[in-house]
Amino acid sequence: MSVFDHIQTLKDQGLTQIKEANDLDTLNNIRVNLTGKKGELTKVLRSMKDLSNEERPKVGQVVNEVRDLFATEIDNKKEQLQQAELEAQMQKEAIDVTLPGKESYLGSHHLINIVRQDIEEFCVSLGYQVITGPEVESDHYNFEMMNIPKNHPARDMQDTFYVDATHEHLMRSQTSPVQARTLEKHDFSKSPLKMISPGKVYRRDDDDATHSHQFNQLEGLVIDENITMAHLKGTLQAIAQHVFGEDREIRLRPSYFPFTEPSVEVDVTCFACGGKGCSTCKSTGWIEVLGAGMVHPNVLENAGVDSQKYGGFAFGLGLDRFAILKYGVSDIRDFYLNDVRFLEQFRQEAK
Amino acid sequence: MLVSYNWLKDYLDVTVDPADLAETITRTGIEIETLEHPQEGLKKIVVGHVLSLKNHEDSDHLRVAQVDVGEEEPYQIVCGAPNIAEDQYVIVALPNSRIAGNEKIKKGKLRGVVSQGMICGLQEIGFSDSVVPEEVKDGIYVFEDAIAPGTEVYEALGMDDYILDFDITPNRADTLSMEGAAYEVGAILSQNPNLKIPEVSEDSQSFDSQVKVSLDLDESAVSNYRLRYLTDVNIAKSPLWMQTRLMNAGTRPVNNVVDALQYAMIEMGQPLAAFDADKIEGDLQVRFAKSGETIQLKDQDPIELGTEDIVIADNQKILALGGVVTSTAAEVDEKTTSLVLQSAIYDGALVRKSAQRHGVRTDSSARFEKGINWDNTQKAIDYLAQLIAENGQAKVLAGTKVIRDTQKSPVVIDITTARINHVLGTELSTADIIAIFERLQFGVVAEGDTLSVSVPARRFDISIDADLVEEVARLYGYDNLPTVLPVVEQTIGGYDRQQQALNKARDLLVGFGLDETINYSLTTHDKAISFVKEAKDVIALDWPMTKEHEVLRQNLVSGLLDSAVYNAARKQTDLRLFEQGRVFSQENGQNQEVDHIAGLYAGQNRPNNWQNDVKNFDFYEVKGQVEAFLKAMGFTKATSYVAEPIKGMHPTRTAAIYYGDQYVGFVGQIDPRELPKTKLKEVYAFELDMETLLSIDVEPTVSKEAPKYPAIKRDLSLLVDEAITNSQITSVIDENGGKHLRDVQVFDVYSGDKLEVGKQSIAYQLTFQDFAQTLKDDSVNKAIEAITQALTSELNISVR
Repeated sequence: MSVFDHIQTLKDQGLTQIKEANDLDTLNNIRVNLTGKKGELTKVLRSMKDLSNEERPKVGQVVNEVRDLFATEIDNKKEQLQQAELEAQMQKEAIDVTLPGKESYLGSHHLINIVRQDIEEFCVSLGYQVITGPEVESDHYNFEMMNIPKNHPARDMQDTFYVDATHEHLMRSQTSPVQARTLEKHDFSKSPLKMISPGKVYRRDDDDATHSHQFNQLEGLVIDENITMAHLKGTLQAIAQHVFGEDREIRLRPSYFPFTEPSVEVDVTCFACGGKGCSTCKSTGWIEVLGAGMVHPNVLENAGVDSQKYGGFAFGLGLDRFAILKYGVSDIRDFYLNDVRFLEQFRQEAK
Repeated sequence: MLVSYNWLKDYLDVTVDPADLAETITRTGIEIETLEHPQEGLKKIVVGHVLSLKNHEDSDHLRVAQVDVGEEEPYQIVCGAPNIAEDQYVIVALPNSRIAGNEKIKKGKLRGVVSQGMICGLQEIGFSDSVVPEEVKDGIYVFEDAIAPGTEVYEALGMDDYILDFDITPNRADTLSMEGAAYEVGAILSQNPNLKIPEVSEDSQSFDSQVKVSLDLDESAVSNYRLRYLTDVNIAKSPLWMQTRLMNAGTRPVNNVVDALQYAMIEMGQPLAAFDADKIEGDLQVRFAKSGETIQLKDQDPIELGTEDIVIADNQKILALGGVVTSTAAEVDEKTTSLVLQSAIYDGALVRKSAQRHGVRTDSSARFEKGINWDNTQKAIDYLAQLIAENGQAKVLAGTKVIRDTQKSPVVIDITTARINHVLGTELSTADIIAIFERLQFGVVAEGDTLSVSVPARRFDISIDADLVEEVARLYGYDNLPTVLPVVEQTIGGYDRQQQALNKARDLLVGFGLDETINYSLTTHDKAISFVKEAKDVIALDWPMTKEHEVLRQNLVSGLLDSAVYNAARKQTDLRLFEQGRVFSQENGQNQEVDHIAGLYAGQNRPNNWQNDVKNFDFYEVKGQVEAFLKAMGFTKATSYVAEPIKGMHPTRTAAIYYGDQYVGFVGQIDPRELPKTKLKEVYAFELDMETLLSIDVEPTVSKEAPKYPAIKRDLSLLVDEAITNSQITSVIDENGGKHLRDVQVFDVYSGDKLEVGKQSIAYQLTFQDFAQTLKDDSVNKAIEAITQALTSELNISVR
């Protein structure tokens, strides 16, 4: 048998052994046997001294080729076996993925603020500035500037908490004083005024399911040279559709507020029944959601704004009422008692 | 104001369905709160004639009546009413009828005697207790006149009517009368209301010296004052039609004088008064009350009057509080024969104050407060005289004594078509607008597109052009206005810096797992000034409704604690609450309000899990949240925590928080004594003054590359006296750590058996890094050496 035949045999046997190796230890033994210092290929090289000068380089070349082939095959096999071993390891690591995860606390925004921010962000997108004002107000801004002089019957509509014996200061009964404060400061020669003002207001009401001595309003005001009641309708429709759904319609009914003329109550088509009539809307198909109107000239003039040149609309809505209507809250006190089981309902993103 | 549909038909040709009319009025003018049809739900209720009556054998109060109900045979009905008598015409609920409250009446037996139905009182068929005449309040109703037995009672009692409840806004007091309602409905239906013109048949005797009047008030207080005089009055019941109209208007019938006063006021809007002429001693005086004078009202203690109360008096006593109420002193009773009738207009503000001061709000005072049609004083007193003459066979002496008759200057407002269209966004023509004013019965003179509109005195709510715009808008119909978004020069919307920061602050705490709350700003005095470093002067309500809400809070934690206690009482004891809101105080007499944010923690630091990886909140977990919050808000530098007392907080587990030298809030455990009778154990809280924090200029963020060269970490284990604080140690480390010291972290604190008493071991990990090159061990060693020496010399600390 020639040396080449021997190498061929070694090669065939070696490849078979590698192929059949079942674990890394066996594979390592095979490697040592085939290519190690005392391995078969080494033995062939050692026996080369007996070969002719012609044969020697050829044998060397063939042995090297076989050695490289073995190395490649062993590496491949080793990779294969390692993967299999990892696979087996991971099988042993199996867990029950249906066991519950380790829960984290999930915080919740207050529903009133969810409703507030939703309207704020919508109005901001329409170019409204958000402006806040003091909750402890002067009678001057809360009433006088808003065209509600002393002895005005409308003061009865908003029974007020005063904070001094002279009744010069009070807990604001409406967010409207922020209108007056802003009208005084705004430079109409530079730009129209588009503002909203959210915040807490206070009235002398006994707390019960539908009344609260503290609640939240959001007031809107747009003043420029050519603002019409049609614009008011358009704006309120956009807000109503944003808050209550795209299919909603609005309607205006005459009403009275000292700071607007004309004044209107605004109804939106019932979102419980879509306008067909149900218990939520007392079979009318409509739900009263806010008050609005064209700003009374006295309010403008009181703030030093020329009511012949400038005019516009204002609207005011109760955030508590919006939240009650939109989310079906049955008791306004829930907003201020803060039972966590009530609060945590509103954790998920919902429109 | 309860407006009768049938009464409206006196003035207008109303054929529209009552429900449709109500809807139209609501959409055009005044909200119709409710529409009621009194006979609705009633069935088989007829007039019965009591033929005979005998006592029930088995009862001492029941009686057995034979009642003609229009059938061939009389019905036998058992009745317990004390006022039943033979030959009465009464209300009978037949067998299988329905009375008020949808109650079914069946044929039955009462103590063994068959009863075919029930004889009813007015309340039993739906009349309110407050309108039923006194004499039939506690028994059955008895018709004055014969009505054919078997006739349904509804028409006779006015129950076939529809009652529209006008929810009148303060500006539309002009509709506080049937005439006003008729004008309003007429404008809506485009009809000219046909108002009643009083026809007084006066006696030949004239009204002159019977009563002398002194009017000592100026025209601003009393602008109109007139009297009529009637003799030979026969006090009796009013006719049934008038009684039923009054009841439908919510008024209890009394007698033909009192009812006429009410009826004329409801019809014409003018409050009126009548005095028994024989009870007037001396002259009538119209003046302010003198201090010490009192007025006697029915079934009440005397009311002491003040010098701003308008009174009608005689030489001896007070007869009326002007515009509010008449006293018992000269009231009409069954013996009255001569009457002084009065029609006057008083100043609304004075009447309002009188009514408020004495707690006597009446239909009369409400009308004066809200406004009166000055044109109706004579007409109303004539109408009153006519009604009493007709219903009480009285003689009306000739003439009216007009003591004062101030005329109001007519209101004429100029407005242009362009102005109206400019405000409404419409394209109405001048003719359209004139047509609307004519529906309102306003006078219009047009010159081009300028309209001079004469507003009648009855519409005292209209004084400026915006008022006219509203009239046009509502009658044109709000539904007919276009619906468009405003087109104006572009404006920049948005939040200001503070609002933005507060929104972010709230988002952060929600992200930390806290539930946002809103608590009451008004609280008790004690709670208001708790949880503060130093209480300031409080802002207190002048007239609080309850002790619970009398003072404005100076802190948010007490509100959070209220919420926590509320939750704990409902077995919710794992709590993480926060609030962002204002706190209030007075400084140098000035009201201050600033935005704060506060959090409260109780119970477990995370929900239960099956790996049992749960601890209770402690100081350091809560402090960690505050630190993370401040870091995220940009307050990374110069924050320090100092053990300082805060009212209501645990004396040794509370830190005041400073930014530089500025006190900005606190964090710590709530003093357990603040948690009486709750299931809450350790409760932690923090409160930060956002106003002060946001006023601090924070350095803007400038991007730096991530470090390219490796950091070197060294651990230092220190044996220290327990009295020495971490902040003392870290400040020594910071001062001596050299320029490459980037971070100092505590990673272990130990005190216990293995250490000598009074000592503890604190281990720190120090991170060094040079951003410009790889740091050499050598330079770190030098820094550690410097730190170790300083710790030893300054704080007597040994490095282990």
